[in-house]
Amino acid sequence: MVLADLGRRLNAALSSLNRAPVVDEVVLDALLKEVCAALLESDVNVKLVSQLRQKVKTKVKATFETSGDKLKEANRKNVVQKAIFDELVHLVDPGVEPYKPKKGHPNVIMAVGLQGNGKTTTCTKLAVHYQKRGFKSCIVCADTFRAGAFDQTRQSATKAKVAYFGSYTETDPVAIAAQGVAKFKKEKFEVIIVDTSGRHKQESELFEEMVQIGHAVQPDMTVLVLDASIGQAAEAQSRAFKDSANFGAIIVTKMDGHAKGGGAISAVAATQTPIIFLGTGEHLTDLDRFAPQPFISKLLGFGDVQGLMEH
Amino acid sequence: LGSVLARLTGSKVLTQEDLRPVLEDMKQHLMKKNVAKEIAEKICEGVEESLVGKRVGGFQSASHAFIGVRHYLMALIATNATVRQALSTSITRILTPKTSTDLLLSIRSKLSSPLSSTQLRLPYTIAFVGVNGVGKSTNLSKVCFWLIQNGLRVLIAACDTFRSGAVEQLRVHVRNLSMLGINGATDGKGRVELYERGYGKDAAGIAKEAIAFARDNDFDIVLIDTAGRMQDNEPLMRALAKLVSVNNPDKIIFVGEALVGNEAVDQLSKFDRALRDFSGLSGIGKGRGVDGMLVTKWDIVDDKVGAALSMTYVTGQPILFVGTGQTYTDLRQLRVANVVQAILSD
Ligand SMILES: Nc1nc2c(ncn2[C@@H]2O[C@H](COP(=O)(O)OP(=O)(O)OP(=O)(O)O)[C@@H](O)[C@H]2O)c(=O)[nH]1
Ligand SMILES: Nc1nc2c(ncn2[C@@H]2O[C@H](COP(=O)(O)OP(=O)(O)OP(=O)(O)O)[C@@H](O)[C@H]2O)c(=O)[nH]1
Ligand SMILES: [Mg+2]
Ligand SMILES: [Mg+2]
Repeated sequence: MVLADLGRRLNAALSSLNRAPVVDEVVLDALLKEVCAALLESDVNVKLVSQLRQKVKTKVKATFETSGDKLKEANRKNVVQKAIFDELVHLVDPGVEPYKPKKGHPNVIMAVGLQGNGKTTTCTKLAVHYQKRGFKSCIVCADTFRAGAFDQTRQSATKAKVAYFGSYTETDPVAIAAQGVAKFKKEKFEVIIVDTSGRHKQESELFEEMVQIGHAVQPDMTVLVLDASIGQAAEAQSRAFKDSANFGAIIVTKMDGHAKGGGAISAVAATQTPIIFLGTGEHLTDLDRFAPQPFISKLLGFGDVQGLMEH
Repeated sequence: LGSVLARLTGSKVLTQEDLRPVLEDMKQHLMKKNVAKEIAEKICEGVEESLVGKRVGGFQSASHAFIGVRHYLMALIATNATVRQALSTSITRILTPKTSTDLLLSIRSKLSSPLSSTQLRLPYTIAFVGVNGVGKSTNLSKVCFWLIQNGLRVLIAACDTFRSGAVEQLRVHVRNLSMLGINGATDGKGRVELYERGYGKDAAGIAKEAIAFARDNDFDIVLIDTAGRMQDNEPLMRALAKLVSVNNPDKIIFVGEALVGNEAVDQLSKFDRALRDFSGLSGIGKGRGVDGMLVTKWDIVDDKVGAALSMTYVTGQPILFVGTGQTYTDLRQLRVANVVQAILSD
């Protein structure tokens, strides 16, 4: 992921900081250039990156000026490191706790997102994940648009041995969603996952349909499923999904590829919503939990960066 | 202002220093339009090379120091305009196809080439390849619609034998396409069929059978749907290369999303390389590469169309089609001028 990759590049950049006799503006600029290059190559939003650069500079300058000559050279380096890390943490950690499914309660989770980003696959993975942890889990296929959508759910749910609901003839996704959720609630299912069609902000009817499905099933948590390879369109699309569906969590898929997921990180920053899982393959168990805090702590454990948190 | 303009008669030879800030802005601008960083940098380098040492007009002589600020601004505007022009030229050059994009012509010339009396005519074959979920199967169906509109008989080969629902997805498309009225006729029956052998089988073998079936049953075209795969997954890339080397399709179309960011470069170069390296019977790099691109989800990116530029830059191959939606008619030819305009727009 972008931060893991950044960890390595930052290490190199920061060790050059350690080698520099004085930390002045030139050194800071060079360091920031390296950090920003890594972020841009990972698809983090261009505006976010220049904001980060600006914020770090302002912060560092302010600290340098207020403490004047009292600041020892070693401490100046720490000020720089800390400013950079705080801003990176800020990017990926909105400081919001995602919803946690409760036992003995019908937890409704609705998956939304752009076309082909991995919703249907992820719905089955989620069902498997919660099933393994003792939740009675099931999937409702409320995608009546995509060719073969119900077959896809049927086949993958069967493979995963989870219950599913859908229809070959009903064409109204709102009706199917409502029926399916009502049926599974009656049958005392604990995690009810509603899969929806892919959609995008440019087609307002598709967004309206998503809002209606949401009204019909009253999800406890709506999840935005986002492809790790998305570039600069991530911010506008995720904002639009946030405005209409008010999702409470993000799942980033296809992290088994080469993509660093910077677009997804821009979605986190744009919508102040945490990532909860990473999809890491096409198989049913290719799902990794993601929590910003432990991830960042681990990242901060990289070589030279260690000890930073003590300052 | 008029009097100032009147005095702007000088000219100047552009230096790297003049260009640096403008080019830095330009790079940022290209990246905002979703051009991959590496490609944005290369394009800027190209523009710089083409401009350093060039004489541009619109500069004022230094003696008019009292209008220093205006002087500076006018110089900047002149530089900007020159750079913008050079950028436009450069992008246009990258996007303009170097080989023919007339697929119908290529199909018709194969189908009408002379045969000996004992030979059976082989169908024209097109393989659709790319990473997961980009729109291969959907856009294959759109291309199918376009081909049958043009009076051709199409067989779709269901060679994604892995992803749940992949075969049924194509079956639904074939059913829809056979019901659509085509060129005045009431339905398209017999114009399109599906060749499928279910799941779990070897894709290369199914493609081979499908081509033989098409040959024996007088189909003009075989469209081969393949499973999505990550470009770093070597076993899957080898399997794709095998499909290519066994069947030697007439066209290998890489399907990529307009949404994709920096990955555009890695996806395309690795698909191209893996196909070349693993499909060649006579050694590394001797096999077939990607012949052209189909860029999907064009309707989702507004004016952030930079992926098209990254993709054409990487391979030098043309964009044969763009996908602009989820229905059969949402398939277009790339309009280079429109793309250039979208990329240059603020
Ligand atoms: N390599 C990899 N492939 C994935 C992952 N998640 C999903 N996919 C693949 O991505 C493709 C699209 O996945 P779907 O689940 O059909 O996507 P979707 O969002 O439901 O698509 P629509 O319903 O058409 O919008 C399929 O080929 C999946 O196998 C992942 O984490 N890694
Ligand atoms: N908006 C829009 N959606 C598209 C376009 N092309 C394809 N899609 C949608 O993208 C999703 C995935 O399309 P598929 O054709 O299944 O993609 P694929 O590459 O075959 O996927 P895998 O076989 O799973 O790798 C579907 O929901 C399509 O409707 C397009 O041009 N615009
Ligand atoms: Mg789906
Ligand atoms: Mg497909």
